[in-house]
Amino acid sequence: MADNLHLKVITPLALIIDEQVELVEGPGELGEFGILPGHVPFVTTLSPGFLKYKQGSDTKSLLIHGGLAEVSDDNVRVLTDSTEDPSTIDTSAAKEDIYKLEKQIEESQGNAKKLKELDHQLKIAQARASVK
Amino acid sequence: MPSLKQINTKISSVKGTRRIMSAMKLIAAVKLQRSQSMLKEFRPYSDAYKEIVMGVAGKCDPKVHPLLRKPAEVKKRHFVFFTSDRGLCGSFNTGLIRNFENHLTEASFDKDQVSLSFVGRRGKDHCSSAGFSIGDYFSGANEKNYIEIANKLTSSAIEQFQKGEIDEVVLVYNYFKSALTQEITFEKLLPIEVKDEETSGTDYIYEPKRESIIGDIVPKYVQIRIERAIQESLTSEHASRMTAMENATTNADDVIKKLTLLFNKTRQAMITTELMDIVNGTEAQKQGGND
Repeated sequence: MADNLHLKVITPLALIIDEQVELVEGPGELGEFGILPGHVPFVTTLSPGFLKYKQGSDTKSLLIHGGLAEVSDDNVRVLTDSTEDPSTIDTSAAKEDIYKLEKQIEESQGNAKKLKELDHQLKIAQARASVK
Repeated sequence: MPSLKQINTKISSVKGTRRIMSAMKLIAAVKLQRSQSMLKEFRPYSDAYKEIVMGVAGKCDPKVHPLLRKPAEVKKRHFVFFTSDRGLCGSFNTGLIRNFENHLTEASFDKDQVSLSFVGRRGKDHCSSAGFSIGDYFSGANEKNYIEIANKLTSSAIEQFQKGEIDEVVLVYNYFKSALTQEITFEKLLPIEVKDEETSGTDYIYEPKRESIIGDIVPKYVQIRIERAIQESLTSEHASRMTAMENATTNADDVIKKLTLLFNKTRQAMITTELMDIVNGTEAQKQGGND
């Protein structure tokens, strides 16, 4: 059994992370999950939130906009539409976004497709706002 | 033999054409660079997505989700056709159309067993004049609006597939191999066809449950493949146009060279004739004077 996981985070526009890590924690659609080396094959859809990964004593995190994660043979692949570096996020703008989006959600009740999209945007904004 | 004036007019007209073609070549080169770098980043993402979908679909019974349905008999085949809006790009469109027609003849498909969607005017114009019925059609695809186009094509393809109106979805496009070679590709998108090696191996743990994941990722997969096809096609189009215009510029240079030669020859011939006239004239005068 290998001691490391090979983590790849890929978006349509770039390969964001391609590194050896010891632990990956991610925002699954049904709740947080953690992956250590030797994990059984695993597929999950992701919610917008923070992907955390540990390298030695360092723990880094990355905001991902939902997507899909797959674990097999100690390879972790995360496919997401977009990522953001938490250090560059403007939390006050995110709080305003939350307010606007909640209003829009109220206005577009009944339009399932639009609601799904707005809900996704809202989750991203909430994740942004939660950065300290 | 044409007059000097005629040749001159011709030379300047060819020079004008050459200028346009060499400008088109430069534009195509810039566009190619942009779309090629986009494609380069998009390929790993779309390939990884495809691998995961294949892995998931390969390990489960096609009955668990309508999108994995394998029709017993293919009654209606849906082609999504990617060509360019404009010409002057070598065999980019004609090659694709010819291949498609051969494909239909080989599979002995009637026109009413085929439904077609188009990205790009050239393919649509050809097929509508050939008597096919035209489904969705989008023109003016570029690096900015391709996601929107892919989105519309995806929802209509998935809807029709789930209703059973079509039994197969095939993408027809030019795959970008390099600036010099593009490969005509028929990619079967639905039903998802899994290679044997992907059916083996341990099954995944799914979270949420498998049916719900498949319902999420298969439409997204279709969308990503269509986005990929548009990108491949755009990049190939720019490459193809660049090569075609490069060749055209070289040819124009040859023509200009030949015409200039002809111009010089004609001018020389005229001078010679005039000289002969003068010499003859003087000779005649001399002889007249002697008399």
